[in-house]
Amino acid sequence: MSSPAYPSGTVRALLDTAHVSDATRAALQARLDAPATYAPQFLAPETFALLEAVAARLFPQPDRPTQPIPLAPAIDQRLADGRADGWRYDALPPDREAYRMGLGGIQEIAQAQFQTDFMNLEAAQQDAVLHMLAGSHPPGTAWQTLDAGRFFEELLAELAATYYAHPLAQEEIGYVGMADLPAWTKIGLNEKEDREPKPEERLSS
Amino acid sequence: MPEEEILEESVLNPVMPDVQDPLLRALLADEPAPVDTPQEQPQALPAEADEVDCVVIGLGAGGAPLLARLAMAGLKVVALEAGPWHDAKKDFATDEQAQDFLFWNDERLAAGQDPLAMGRNNSGTGVGGSTLHYTAYTPRPLPDDLHLKRDFGRGEDWPFGYEELEPYYEELEGFLGISGPTPYPWGPARRKGYPLAPLPLNGAAQLMVRGAAKLGIQTSPAANAALSARYYQEGVGWREACTNRGFCQAGCSNGAKASMDVTFIPLAVQHGADIRPNSFVTEIERDERGFVTGVVYTQNGEQQRQRCRHLFLCGGSVETPRLLLLNDLALTSGQVGRNLMAHPGVQVWGTFADEVRPNKGIPGGLISQDTHRPKDADFVGGYLLQSIGVMPVTFAGQVARGRKLWGQPLRDYMRQFNHVAGINILGDCLPHADNFMELAEEKDARGLPKPRLHFTAQENEQRMNAHAEKIMRGIWEAAGATDIWAFGRYAHVIGTARMGLSGDDAVVDANGRAFDVPNLYISDNSTFPSALSVNPALTIMALSLRTADKFLEQQQRRNG
Repeated sequence: MSSPAYPSGTVRALLDTAHVSDATRAALQARLDAPATYAPQFLAPETFALLEAVAARLFPQPDRPTQPIPLAPAIDQRLADGRADGWRYDALPPDREAYRMGLGGIQEIAQAQFQTDFMNLEAAQQDAVLHMLAGSHPPGTAWQTLDAGRFFEELLAELAATYYAHPLAQEEIGYVGMADLPAWTKIGLNEKEDREPKPEERLSS
Repeated sequence: MPEEEILEESVLNPVMPDVQDPLLRALLADEPAPVDTPQEQPQALPAEADEVDCVVIGLGAGGAPLLARLAMAGLKVVALEAGPWHDAKKDFATDEQAQDFLFWNDERLAAGQDPLAMGRNNSGTGVGGSTLHYTAYTPRPLPDDLHLKRDFGRGEDWPFGYEELEPYYEELEGFLGISGPTPYPWGPARRKGYPLAPLPLNGAAQLMVRGAAKLGIQTSPAANAALSARYYQEGVGWREACTNRGFCQAGCSNGAKASMDVTFIPLAVQHGADIRPNSFVTEIERDERGFVTGVVYTQNGEQQRQRCRHLFLCGGSVETPRLLLLNDLALTSGQVGRNLMAHPGVQVWGTFADEVRPNKGIPGGLISQDTHRPKDADFVGGYLLQSIGVMPVTFAGQVARGRKLWGQPLRDYMRQFNHVAGINILGDCLPHADNFMELAEEKDARGLPKPRLHFTAQENEQRMNAHAEKIMRGIWEAAGATDIWAFGRYAHVIGTARMGLSGDDAVVDANGRAFDVPNLYISDNSTFPSALSVNPALTIMALSLRTADKFLEQQQRRNG
């Protein structure tokens, strides 16, 4: 089916209401209020810029040209803090090492295919590099020791979790589960409460 | 309990839960039991002033029920829980990322061909353990689940039959306030029905009813440990009904879900249990006879020692064997860390023209156990089918990992969130020599070796997954889904300190007592001899109560 589009502003409007608990509001508001600029804490500035460029292709946001949902800062901050999510593929080295090696490996693919840095490539060429990463056995010495498929999966999963935790991304998919007070009473098929958004138009998929 | 509250239209839970064990019943009926149980062994070293009867490590489904039972019997009990004690009503947000603190986030290494996702998938920490984020899906196993070896010649049998657990299931369903169908459509007739009617079906459950009916598969509203009406909980007071938040896996904020922090733990506290959160046990001390004498733990950066007469290890299937291995304890059977099993949990997702809004309502609203022993099975055991709701961040992660969508196609697919619904299975798993937990060279933040979990789905699991995926795709096609895809996954780590009849091939006996160490008990899913074809929480609690009763019975005999 085609993808529904939901009106903007629904989540922001709900955040100010009694439908949202204090703990929930605090978590979401902090993401909305995150500063637009971020100085990397763990990655070197050029490596961080590369991570941002990769994230911009894995989650392109042409609809948010001036203020995209920030994605790379969450990864850099986590690596700086040494936080983990409870598990790691045994095939991968510890996260800090995996990200350093993996981002270096993305440069290697770009060099092997296009003889220049990832940052200098057109969007379509960058996508071609990422397709090679997501496939198997991309070129580059990094990928002789780093499992490309597993690294790509981990990178994509972390970016996806960061993106869809953001109130504006939740708004984009018509999700207002944060506004759950006092209760959801209409939970069956094709039922919704008045505060749940209706799709406003249909886009072609 | 205020008198007027009883008059409201709510279900009244018996103030005293049923107690199965006759000796404990006698104890409770008598004078208050002596606080100091006489020492088990006369030749033991004189007790230090701070010695307690029992230390319980871990306050999830394995530790909390027995903690309450032991405290109610008048024993002096201390509980050490690695994680904090939350105030769910105030602290729990309706936000997946903000709730990450519910998971055991120290890194575990996932090895093998089908590495087990841990963290949010398979772990927990805090007073309440994994029950803080379990889905509350609480079906009983069917009697033949305990006899795979008898029926198929593969796997292991439990050292006792279903009749040993049945009274505990009845007790738990009443005490926790489980909402479920009466009569229950599968398995033997039951003496007692569920105390509450089933929770309402959400969109995914309604779609599964639609699809399954067309294929002649029987379905039923499922048993869930969340309240479909207000309920009186001893030690807590009135627990409010479920508000259909759908966030069970990120923590219940209104106490409707029967996690341990709103059920057995307040009961234990009411009877004098001493709960110590943020207490991470590193060492188990023994005397020259090999009896446990106490534990060393770190609380808020300070090292502490607690002496005890009996130790109950309830840390789950990773931390329990890790503690045993780190302390060179109860290892003579060679089975600690072995027999690691995980439930096949393949999910099938589809997109519907209908609005589903899958974040609302109890996630596992519907069940079918028609696939418990499928006639056309080419595998041992069987599985259950369950409709599933989902939260957006969890779903996005699965789409990323499972479909490998990225860029605009990922964003486009996710915009269909309000139209997706899922079904998954929970299937039995056979132990295999390649599947085990060990200590890795690599150290974690505490300076301890990280656990490494090896898991490779073997032929039996692969055949079961294939059988199940075909059926689930059929149900979704019949229900009108498009863009159907499967996400392979495994849930729950089981079996790493199994129980059995002999210390030659098992770590603990049928009562949970370690063969090697007479005053050490294990109570969690590490003792399961087989994985069962249902979610483990209810059976972990049943075993916990049974272990407590067997222990008290033995103490009574000794003292009598």
